[in-house]
Amino acid sequence: MKIKHNLWVWLPVFFLILILVMSISVTLGAANINWQLAWQIIFSKIPGISTFIEESWSSSNETIVWDIRLPRVLLGAAVGAALALAGAIYQGVLRNPLADPFILGVSSGASFGAALVFVFGLQIVLLGRFTLPAVAFLFGFLSLLIVYFLSRVNQKVRLETIILAGVVVQSFIGACLSLVLALSNEHLQTIVFWMMGSLALTDWGYNQIIFPIILIVSIVSLFFIKELNMLGLGEEAAHHSGVSVQRTRFLLLILASIITGAAVSVSGAIGFVGLVVPHIIRLMFGADYRVILPLSIVGGAIFLVGADAVARTIMAPRELPLGVITAFLGAPFFGYLLRRAKRGYF
Amino acid sequence: MLDIQNVSKSVDGKPIVQDIQLSIQKGKCIGLIGPNGAGKSTVVKLISALEKPSAGQIQFMGKDVQDWSVKKLAQHIAVLTQEGLAPYPITVYDAILMGRYPHLGFFQRESKRDYEIVEEVLKITDLTEFRDQLLDTLSGGERQRVAIAKAMVQQPELLLLDEPTTYLDIGHQLNILKLVQDWQKRDGLTVVMVLHDLNLAAQFCDELVLMDHGRVVRVGTSEDIIAKEMLESVYHANPEIIRHPKTNIPQILL
Repeated sequence: MKIKHNLWVWLPVFFLILILVMSISVTLGAANINWQLAWQIIFSKIPGISTFIEESWSSSNETIVWDIRLPRVLLGAAVGAALALAGAIYQGVLRNPLADPFILGVSSGASFGAALVFVFGLQIVLLGRFTLPAVAFLFGFLSLLIVYFLSRVNQKVRLETIILAGVVVQSFIGACLSLVLALSNEHLQTIVFWMMGSLALTDWGYNQIIFPIILIVSIVSLFFIKELNMLGLGEEAAHHSGVSVQRTRFLLLILASIITGAAVSVSGAIGFVGLVVPHIIRLMFGADYRVILPLSIVGGAIFLVGADAVARTIMAPRELPLGVITAFLGAPFFGYLLRRAKRGYF
Repeated sequence: MLDIQNVSKSVDGKPIVQDIQLSIQKGKCIGLIGPNGAGKSTVVKLISALEKPSAGQIQFMGKDVQDWSVKKLAQHIAVLTQEGLAPYPITVYDAILMGRYPHLGFFQRESKRDYEIVEEVLKITDLTEFRDQLLDTLSGGERQRVAIAKAMVQQPELLLLDEPTTYLDIGHQLNILKLVQDWQKRDGLTVVMVLHDLNLAAQFCDELVLMDHGRVVRVGTSEDIIAKEMLESVYHANPEIIRHPKTNIPQILL
């Protein structure tokens, strides 16, 4: 009861922080645009409000805000939210604090798919420039299915088995990926940079694919909060209170993997967000999934938008890999929280 | 109420439970006893549909338990295991409230009635002062009491207990069994419990089922079962049988 009350305080606070971070991020970059101007440009695009705003900016500024920075910031928010939510779900379902969105091989699969696209210059006619995310997503999902069916014995999946199967598939696909890398000289840099994660390849098109996926999956996953909490009390206990453990687990893993796949396919494998954001939320607000899921979604968005802003500006004009920044920012903060935690929290 | 018909279960060709036949009447408290590896826990798992029998079937309220949905079954059967609840850091109140889960539809939230039931059970189980504490800060005995409370909130007709007192001291053992006994008297609950402690089993159960090597050796009252020859043949130990000075129930001395 008490904790729930907290949620209605903290969720709006988190949203405010997100909007703040996003608007700061839109103003950062080579072109000098303050955030009044940025907001004016954004509002001028919204039907209904646009009539109240007088256009007083150059078209190049409009392009920079609307076509370059805003999609990137929004994509950062979506990817961050997706990874953090997926991490929270994986940790809950697998009952393992080390679980992150990549533990079941989804990201290795996606990276392998992406590498193939780069190396062979694949371009599927129907998909056009969406070939890369589509293929990455498909390979990520395939790896999940392999893991799942490897660990299925007598129509049941055991937790330890699925995590082991994930590790095995991950290393196998990792080896395939290394092989592709070793054999391709010219694309090495592109692939490595993609693997370290970046939001640089963004436009509205990417947003249009990833936003609906993340929105729908997030909403669906919110319906399983009770089940996630009940799994926390043990699988048998959950079964005895009426949760179909096998079915619920399969469904939740699929949901989490879909958003992981979607996120990785547009931004590469950005590490650390999915592992650490849910843990930070847990350390700060407790283990109740009624709080963890919503706050992880918004918290992940904040974290990644912030990290991307840093990645873009700290050594401008050079852009740093996002995965590097997330680890640089996340690890010390997480370490600080861990030291401060008085007892086991997972 | 519960009809176990020629049930066998084997894992990798090795029989765990063989040809069990047992009929359990409503409102009775049945104790499953027997040495380690006798198949007692497996019987409980088969009844709660956590495991599938290799042969035979278990009829509950006229329908095979395997044909019940997990959720529907949980409306009628609650289970308490020796591990009870994992020490997960959520509040006692929230953990107990989860017992209402099988009675809620997928989109349904808890109603006022559900909260009232929880309040009532908090009082019965003497957990009111713990309600906002986190589960992982409780002792084993307190956590087991939360597990009982959660089962109570579930409002089942059948309660299965698998060595619920194994890890507890005698004070908490008695406390848990008393809670179950009062509950049974109050609501006409049917209880099937696995107990290692023969003295407790003799005191709390109406009927005992003695198992060995996956088979039922004998069904009867404590008078029939807690007997020297009977226990010797199954446990390969030499207990002395005496009578409880107050209740006159047979008890063992080692």
